[in-house]
Amino acid sequence: MDFDFSADAIALRDSIHRFLMVEAAPEMLREIWETASGRSAALRAKLADQGLTALSVPESHGGMGLGDLEWVLVQYELGYYAIPDSLSDTAYLAAHLLQHLPNGAAAKQDWLPRIASGQVRVAVGHPVNRLVADAELADLLLLWHADEIHALRRDQVQLAARTSIDASRRLFEVRWTASDATRICSAQAGAALWQAVHDRATVALAAQLLGLAQRMLDLGIDYAAQRKQFGKPIGSFQAVKHQLADVAVKIEFARPVLHRAAYALAEQQPLASIHASQAKLACGEAALLAARKSLQVHGAMGYTWEADLQMFMKRAWALDASWGDRSFHKARLAEHVLADGVRLGPGETFAIPEPAARATRAVRSATA
Amino acid sequence: MTEARPALPEDELFRAEIVAWLDAHLCGDYEAVRHRGGPGDEEADPVLRRRWEQELARGGWTCVGWPKAEGGRGLSIAQQVIFHEEYARAGGPGRMGHIGETLLGPSLIAWGTPEQKARFLPGIRAGTEFWCQGYSEPNAGSDLANVQTRCWQEADGSWRVQGQKIWTSLAHESDWIFVVARCVPGSKGSKGLAFLLLPLRQPGISIRPIRQMAGGNEFNEVFFDGAVAEAGHIVGAPGEGWKIAMGLLEFERGLSTLGQQMHFLHEFELVLDAMRRSGRTHDAQLRQRVAQAWCGLRAMRYNALRVLADRADAGLRREALIYKHYWSNWHRELGKLAMDVLGPEADVVSDDPLIRRLQQLFFFSRADTIYAGTNEIQLNLIAERGLGLPREPRPAAA
Ligand SMILES: Cc1cc2nc3c(=O)[nH]c(=O)nc-3n(C[C@H](O)[C@H](O)[C@H](O)COP(=O)(O)OP(=O)(O)OC[C@H]3O[C@@H](n4cnc5c(N)ncnc54)[C@H](O)[C@@H]3O)c2cc1C
Repeated sequence: MDFDFSADAIALRDSIHRFLMVEAAPEMLREIWETASGRSAALRAKLADQGLTALSVPESHGGMGLGDLEWVLVQYELGYYAIPDSLSDTAYLAAHLLQHLPNGAAAKQDWLPRIASGQVRVAVGHPVNRLVADAELADLLLLWHADEIHALRRDQVQLAARTSIDASRRLFEVRWTASDATRICSAQAGAALWQAVHDRATVALAAQLLGLAQRMLDLGIDYAAQRKQFGKPIGSFQAVKHQLADVAVKIEFARPVLHRAAYALAEQQPLASIHASQAKLACGEAALLAARKSLQVHGAMGYTWEADLQMFMKRAWALDASWGDRSFHKARLAEHVLADGVRLGPGETFAIPEPAARATRAVRSATA
Repeated sequence: MTEARPALPEDELFRAEIVAWLDAHLCGDYEAVRHRGGPGDEEADPVLRRRWEQELARGGWTCVGWPKAEGGRGLSIAQQVIFHEEYARAGGPGRMGHIGETLLGPSLIAWGTPEQKARFLPGIRAGTEFWCQGYSEPNAGSDLANVQTRCWQEADGSWRVQGQKIWTSLAHESDWIFVVARCVPGSKGSKGLAFLLLPLRQPGISIRPIRQMAGGNEFNEVFFDGAVAEAGHIVGAPGEGWKIAMGLLEFERGLSTLGQQMHFLHEFELVLDAMRRSGRTHDAQLRQRVAQAWCGLRAMRYNALRVLADRADAGLRREALIYKHYWSNWHRELGKLAMDVLGPEADVVSDDPLIRRLQQLFFFSRADTIYAGTNEIQLNLIAERGLGLPREPRPAAA
């Protein structure tokens, strides 16, 4: 494989980047943080205008029919701007579940077009997370029950809000009763779908974490250039430079791991889960390092509410533990590597299954 | 060498005494502040904790390491360790008086006039006067010698202060502030500074809280507009402010922190509790980090005991130099470990006291490598003063 993204995917990413730069300034994040629901209908509408809610809904249901490779670039931008919205749960995870439902024609017809047009929010409750994100404003909740998939409307569940340290996440304990009427998919078919959703969530968070890492690095660079001590910008001190350079190295080494994982999803490769775990670990590490180093570079200023850095740090800390924390993903990798008969030899390093043709889709590195 | 001298009978008696005292006094109303008020939790019931300080003082349990002649208890090192161990074990509330007790008090004992000692030490000891530290300014953080706050002497000998301090922890809960200010107009760097003591409640001072990352307001901006310090309330001579300020920092960065170590031990135990509770004691990665943290904790303890044991000797300076860097990095990592042990619970605000405390630990410990001298500054000091390496190039006096 090479690591090129298609020109269209790059163009999409660039336009989202420019759009969010204008629409999602830190002041706006703060405003949304302070609201009761923590969500902004106006922001959601703008995201829909950009086509993001339609991204992976099939064309037959009013969407753009794109996939994991486009999403990974978009998720990075959502992370970079710490977008407080359930876009990813609705338009990536739920859209994926719905469109792959066996015999789910009715549900597809009901929900996919409305997801595409940005009219609805859908929450996804997977057992790896005890709490369900964005349940309150959800029109529909897709919930796990012994590998079955259940679909409930907001008025069929009871919610108790749980406050996250990251005010841009809105988490809920969801109480509900599974019944034949709520079940839209059997356990037999559901298991693989839930796995696919977990993998996608893992890669989505990995991408957001990488975007966050880059944002925190950028904030650190800006601060180090402006802030003067001893008559010089602190960025001229080697001890400060090296902190930031360390982060840059981590980010650049995480990026291909992330893209490789997205590719594995797109190609439905058998080891997609392993790639996803590796990506989340690599990107999470970059984000945690970026938080630590950028805070250090900011000095006491970084410890304040007023400095934007805190919003991105909290997001990174929270996302790193969500959809499987570091222990979870490391254990998964260890199990894979140590399993009997795993092919890890030199010949396997760059091995990719066919069709290799599609492997030539993407790279210009997405360096922001 | 011995790890520690064998416990003497009087030490064990002493332990029994403090245990019994805490048992009899840290109860009733004070239940509410047991285990509260430590780093990251400074805003927990300051009124009650103030009362507690006075309760402690009546029992003779403040300033236990000060010499008897200065109103302290004159405890041996071994007994101080015992005191702090038992205080932490009993869940003694975070000490509101620690800035006075461990920073200003020892500095006054070292460099204060008899009048200053007579005026200020009793209030610190009695838990009736609380202090905060007015060093940092917007343009004088790591470069502390760049302070721009000015002071001058009036005809009656009193001092006036004009300028601004920032990041002043607990100014809003304190009665007095010690301030480093420029007394020689046009002077630069560490020359021409004075070390002044000012009451905070006066017309020339206003305090504005700064909200911290975790939401609380532990620190403040403090503005001085012709604020007054009495003629006698300058420590050292005008122009000697830097010497006093640095001496005090040595107390801060050094081993004023036996109590803090016991607190670390307690926090470490909380992390273990959380690990057991979450059923993660079999998680290989967490186990390794816990073992690592324990090693660090022991190393700090041995180092502290070693240094304290030969306090008289000139070794102190150099050890004090390394200590801050070591504990702050260790503690920051403990904070992260606490979150990882909690897993996904870590980022949900909780009423559960254990989770809440570990979250406070996590947030507060993000700042450990910043206050009281950043990591980078500590390492520069170790390299330059400790190892004698050439000094970092500095720009010609800015
Ligand atoms: C929770 C908290 C409580 C505090 N309480 C108090 C208080 O009560 N009283 C008080 O006076 N102050 C207090 N402070 C302030 C503290 O002393 C300063 O934050 C600290 O001295 C660093 O200064 P700064 O924040 O301005 O960072 P800066 O000096 O701007 O440093 C920013 C970054 O640049 C690096 N840097 C700067 N100079 C160099 C150099 N020469 N070489 C290499 N790297 C360099 C630093 O290490 C840091 O990483 C507190 C701070 C915090 C976070």
